[in-house]
Amino acid sequence: MFGVYLIMFLIGFTMPGMWQVVALLAFYCALGQSWNIFMGMTGYVDFGYVTFIALGTYGMALGVQYFHQFEWLGIGIIFIGIFLALFLASLSALLEAAIALRLRGAYFAIACIGINEGLRYFIEGAKIWGGSEGIIFSGALLKTFGREMANQLTTFWADFAVFMVAVLAAFLNIHYMRSKIGYALTAVREDEDAAKVMGIDTTKYKTIAFLTSGLLGATVGAFAWGLKLRHVFPADVFVIYYTIECVVVVLLGGAGTLLGPVVGGLIYGLSKYWLAVIFPGFQLLIFAPIIIFIIVAFPGGIIGWVKQRIKGTPLQRYIE
Amino acid sequence: MALLKLENITKSFGGLMAVNNVSLEIQPGEAIGVVGPNGSGKTTLFNVINGVYLPDGGKVIFEERDITRMPPHKRAPLGIGRTFQIPRPFSSASVQENVAVGVMFGTLSGKVGVDESLDIADRYVELVGLTPHRDKEAGSLTPVEKKLMEMARALAMKPKLLLMDEALAGMHPKDIDEMVVFLKKIKEEENIAIVAMVEHIMRAVVGFAERVIVMHQGKKLVDAPTAMALKDQRVVDVYLGRPVGE
Repeated sequence: MFGVYLIMFLIGFTMPGMWQVVALLAFYCALGQSWNIFMGMTGYVDFGYVTFIALGTYGMALGVQYFHQFEWLGIGIIFIGIFLALFLASLSALLEAAIALRLRGAYFAIACIGINEGLRYFIEGAKIWGGSEGIIFSGALLKTFGREMANQLTTFWADFAVFMVAVLAAFLNIHYMRSKIGYALTAVREDEDAAKVMGIDTTKYKTIAFLTSGLLGATVGAFAWGLKLRHVFPADVFVIYYTIECVVVVLLGGAGTLLGPVVGGLIYGLSKYWLAVIFPGFQLLIFAPIIIFIIVAFPGGIIGWVKQRIKGTPLQRYIE
Repeated sequence: MALLKLENITKSFGGLMAVNNVSLEIQPGEAIGVVGPNGSGKTTLFNVINGVYLPDGGKVIFEERDITRMPPHKRAPLGIGRTFQIPRPFSSASVQENVAVGVMFGTLSGKVGVDESLDIADRYVELVGLTPHRDKEAGSLTPVEKKLMEMARALAMKPKLLLMDEALAGMHPKDIDEMVVFLKKIKEEENIAIVAMVEHIMRAVVGFAERVIVMHQGKKLVDAPTAMALKDQRVVDVYLGRPVGE
């Protein structure tokens, strides 16, 4: 799994013109894995997940925009941006956990969408953080770092950081699966009431997974949308469409598996990219039936299907 | 000292009084059969004891501690184990992992790591005779195997009080006799008070229980040593139809 990332990184680094493609793939892999840590392990579907990515983007924007006037901070403003991204995301994650995690199934999904939309209109209506005009901080970046360094930050380091988040998400996924947290969450997913009676503090473990997943999403947002694009508008970031992309990535690859989101991210990212190159304008028309076909043919996702096929063979222990 | 004391427990759902002013005591290491027809309040009583439902009135006292409002996940480590009428395994996990969950979260120490829990789980898997199925997904077991697995999972929590909801329903009479022998052995070895809910398998009640509590329409009808309870005229009238053994 880490091998896959290494190969992707090397391809992007050595082949001219491939870096953008690889960065796009890393973005989907990172998001898929981050979303999967919560959904795959608990069975709760968070349709408002994009809230975290959006708040991460805002964190980075606020950090750079409001702190660049303190020149002595230098590169520190990026770290302040990350810190704010994590801070805003944990605040919203804990709040959502307190309210929405008490609900199950469709009610949970709807509550999360509600919070996402509410937050967007709150920012626009109350005119905080620039309201609907958003924050454009490319100027602040230029002023602090100069043209060359700012360019490097936004074109190389932002993508590189997304890569690192993907690796971190994989690492956390493995760690959780093998620790008590994984056992507790499996129990929650299979039968939450039985889990409680077995002595599992279900709220605690659900919150851990929710928070982890949210913080990873916020970091992806801070780099891939914030630092890379250098602006944030509420109407662009609080968009459920991106949650759907996470869902598709995870379902394609296999929910609750380690490799699933990576395979899903690769397939989704690659086909989206190539279809846009080959049939510009028609990509979604062609893309939708392909996704429907894969999900109908492999209900457990591609990794889920492979897992079923190799069950009981020596290959089994290589796929999780 | 009583292990568990219920004082005037009342629980209703809408207009239905599921449990009506029930008081009882359970001593450490006792074997008790709770019998009564469908809808007599047995399952509700269990759910009040392990915290799935909060009672509308009355108190639940475990080892002299008032646990009436304590959430279920905190009660389990105190020593309250439970098996379900329809087994509720964590289907995608293996038998060993299911039992290990009991070790990890259901014991008071709470400091047992994953690997150690899996080792300890092996002992309980063996105890119920499921070692050949150790690595199977729990969802793929037969109904009887699932019941045994639940049993191992509950025992792995090192309970002082084990609530068994219809543990014997649907079993072959031969298996029931084996199970009764097994339960008695476990009870002696680990000093667990076992409260088994039984709807209509009287041979199990006679074989296993030292004391019988008969529930009827949410109320405790009779609470007496087994032989006496089953001869009680009220029990014969509302529940048995004719005395057991005739």
